[in-house]
Amino acid sequence: MSNTLPLTELFASSKGATYQCDTTNRIIIQFGEARVSLRISDFLTFKKRVDSVDIHTMIFNTDDAYDVEIIDAPRTGHLFVLSLCDLIALRDLLAGTRFVLDLNTLLNERIYSSLVY
Amino acid sequence: MKDLVRMRTSLKEEIERILNEQIKMEAHSSAIYLSMAAWCDRNGFDFSAGYFYKQSNEERNHMLKLFNYVSDMGGHAISPEVTNVPQEFDGFRDVFELALQQEIAVSNSINRIVGQARQFNDFATDQFMQWFVKEQIEEEYVARRAVELFDVIGEEGVGRYMIDKAIPKITYGDVEAQ
Repeated sequence: MSNTLPLTELFASSKGATYQCDTTNRIIIQFGEARVSLRISDFLTFKKRVDSVDIHTMIFNTDDAYDVEIIDAPRTGHLFVLSLCDLIALRDLLAGTRFVLDLNTLLNERIYSSLVY
Repeated sequence: MKDLVRMRTSLKEEIERILNEQIKMEAHSSAIYLSMAAWCDRNGFDFSAGYFYKQSNEERNHMLKLFNYVSDMGGHAISPEVTNVPQEFDGFRDVFELALQQEIAVSNSINRIVGQARQFNDFATDQFMQWFVKEQIEEEYVARRAVELFDVIGEEGVGRYMIDKAIPKITYGDVEAQ
């Protein structure tokens, strides 16, 4: 993906950041070394996948299989391999992003819509 | 900054979720009615079987109506997984009592969706759901009348045969036809 496209930062944490690209209508997730660009519907699907992981089982199950969670980012060919700490950090990042997206919807509904003519 | 969420769909996440739940409920109803039809067929209640086949189709059509709406609004309509469909029933009357309970549950669920749509100022969904509100008046009437026939006719003697014959003739708002 070209870095010259104008990006608006949506949310940032110590582990990563998310951006919105108004040229491609995509959400860009930068998490650790990974950088993926998702359509909004795929972003929401990805968030659901991340949110649906049973953290409780990851914490208390001693089997090696529960040490990491592998989550596919839709239509990017990228697999996120996440430890428990990564998973919690990614959840925070995506939740913060979703909050900003909803806030933007609210602002568009209440303020900006009246400016469209 | 563009509102990408709103550009994708006019449905709020919560509304999309409860509409998908309703899709699942209608699919479940359709499967239960199909099971009831099979039970009636197995036990010699041929007319009632026909009635339940028809009901099953109606429920599937309701499901599709909701499914198309969610899709048309840009939402993610989820093809439902249908499980826990009872295959055996305690008796002829129990089948119809269960059908009535099912319709009441559907009515309650639809009322909740209308309430939520109004809470979110989603007037399109509110308007769309009004068709279901009216439909449930008829569905509940027919299901309730079917149970009523067991008391009116009685199950003794040829009672069940008479009830079975009367079931498909139940219509809402046309007493002459009954």
